[in-house]
Amino acid sequence: MPVTTVAAGEWLERARALKEEGWWLMDLCGLDALQLGHENRFQVVCQLLHSERKERQTVHVDATGEPPSLPSVIEVWPTVDFMEREAYDMFGITFEGHPNLTRILMPDEWEGHPLRKDYGVGKVAIEFIAQPYVQIDSPLQSPKPREAGVRTDVLGQTAKADPPAEEVTS
Amino acid sequence: MTIAPKGDAAIAKPTAGAIREFEARGHGAFVETLDDNRMVINMGPVHPSTHGVLRLLLELDGETVHRCEPIIGYLHTGMEKECEDQNWRGAVTIVTRMDYLSPFFNEQAYSLAVEALLGIEVPPRGKYIRTLIAELNRLSSHLVWFGTQGLDMGAMSAMFYGFRERELILDFYEMVTGLRMNNGYFIPGGVWEDLPDDWEGPLRTIVALMPGRIDEYEELLTENPIFLERTRGVGVLTNEAAIALGAAGPVARASGVDWDLRRDMPYEAYGDVEFDVPVDTDGDVYARYVVRMAEMRESVKIIEQLMAAMPDGDHKNMDPKLMPPPRGEMAKSMEAVIHHFKLMTQGYTVPPGEAYAAVESPRGELGAYVVSDGGSSPYRVHVRDPSFVNLQSLGPIAIDGLIADLIACIASVDPIMGGVDR
Repeated sequence: MPVTTVAAGEWLERARALKEEGWWLMDLCGLDALQLGHENRFQVVCQLLHSERKERQTVHVDATGEPPSLPSVIEVWPTVDFMEREAYDMFGITFEGHPNLTRILMPDEWEGHPLRKDYGVGKVAIEFIAQPYVQIDSPLQSPKPREAGVRTDVLGQTAKADPPAEEVTS
Repeated sequence: MTIAPKGDAAIAKPTAGAIREFEARGHGAFVETLDDNRMVINMGPVHPSTHGVLRLLLELDGETVHRCEPIIGYLHTGMEKECEDQNWRGAVTIVTRMDYLSPFFNEQAYSLAVEALLGIEVPPRGKYIRTLIAELNRLSSHLVWFGTQGLDMGAMSAMFYGFRERELILDFYEMVTGLRMNNGYFIPGGVWEDLPDDWEGPLRTIVALMPGRIDEYEELLTENPIFLERTRGVGVLTNEAAIALGAAGPVARASGVDWDLRRDMPYEAYGDVEFDVPVDTDGDVYARYVVRMAEMRESVKIIEQLMAAMPDGDHKNMDPKLMPPPRGEMAKSMEAVIHHFKLMTQGYTVPPGEAYAAVESPRGELGAYVVSDGGSSPYRVHVRDPSFVNLQSLGPIAIDGLIADLIACIASVDPIMGGVDR
């Protein structure tokens, strides 16, 4: 399957030419190439299908700038409406000229773009740091550490004065 | 029958988002009256006719729908992200949960994409088993559609009939894969287990039963005057609109788009079987009904042919670097133990690259776009879900129809929210 890369500036023109040739756009999704060693971090990957020639091709479009952006092709292929919104939602790629570029899968007030590679799963980084030991007074919590000479029952409460302290060996 | 043309206005105008300001104005969640007596109504996400958690914002003039905007995401669980944490084999168990009524197609698209990256072949028996199970899945998925389409039109018995036959098929899945849904049966390289020894008996029962049962369904609805009244000329999607909106599968074929991946770009064992692709040109709810009913009959035909021609041999690619060794071999060979250990802990690696593979699911083209960075888990998995794309055509086909007809339209587009939201 042939793969071509198009710069953001040429994308709209290229899309029009492809549409003229009879290509259908079947899929559009974002790609964060952070760990792939590409020059450009954010890309949009389009899968095109030609029903008469029974061919497929893949077009990568570089999204440049901050936030990464490229022109929307919604006027060429109206089907990209949801797909571009998804790419925006998941990667923060903005599509210039899209009439309704809002979050589609995540809630509107969500922060961050979850499919970016630097977006942690679970969002909050979990760090295992040794916490100072906290004594809990509730009898239902774990028993207090034993002090020498003091017998505690299973709930950690100090047993009655009986039996005498010298009998406790452990 | 004449169909009023909708014109290109409905296609070119995407969901403009103005209706969404309704929410921002904060007038409660249910209803708002605009200045010129139009009304904005919220339908869903919890509504018996929206097939899951689909939410629609409707702008109504009396009973007529002026605008219909699907709002999705209520079932979003980040499956594409989760795949990045699994190994290549384990991601199958994630993608199978996307479109939960046709789990095998998700697995199939993903497996084909990974196989393209690995550059491996599936043995003929593996291909045949996959095709056979996939066609059964098309049948069981269409049976649910039939049941819900009938139910939404008030024909409750359709639901009972559809689910009765679906149960037989699910029992067969259970026999073959161990599970009724979310099977995780197709893996890159073939299928996980061979068919059990006595697989032909239950399948023969299904194949013998289904044509008669489909006749029964047709008696129930096809010429039912109430059903005809409610479906003919309702929810029309023109041919141009279907192509422009990227509609696929039965929705597109009912609008005269003569395109079926199984016939036009054959994959797996579809090159070896003969079947027709039903196409209709009316583009209304009834046309989608007719196309799906005919597809069910074609699926039965395909299953019969595959059963007769089922080849012998391996059911999966037995490359020891990809598949864990048979249990018996591990007792004898140290190498097998090492392979098993490596596969079960780290999994295999896939050469860097990207691949897109598409299959014809019951709802249209289901594609998997897979990127590898050379590691033992996918770098990116994206699934082009047909429900997600087809849902965009719900707005245009609902416009100028009645709100009661909108229910019929939703059922005829047959969106599965698990696939839409992923």
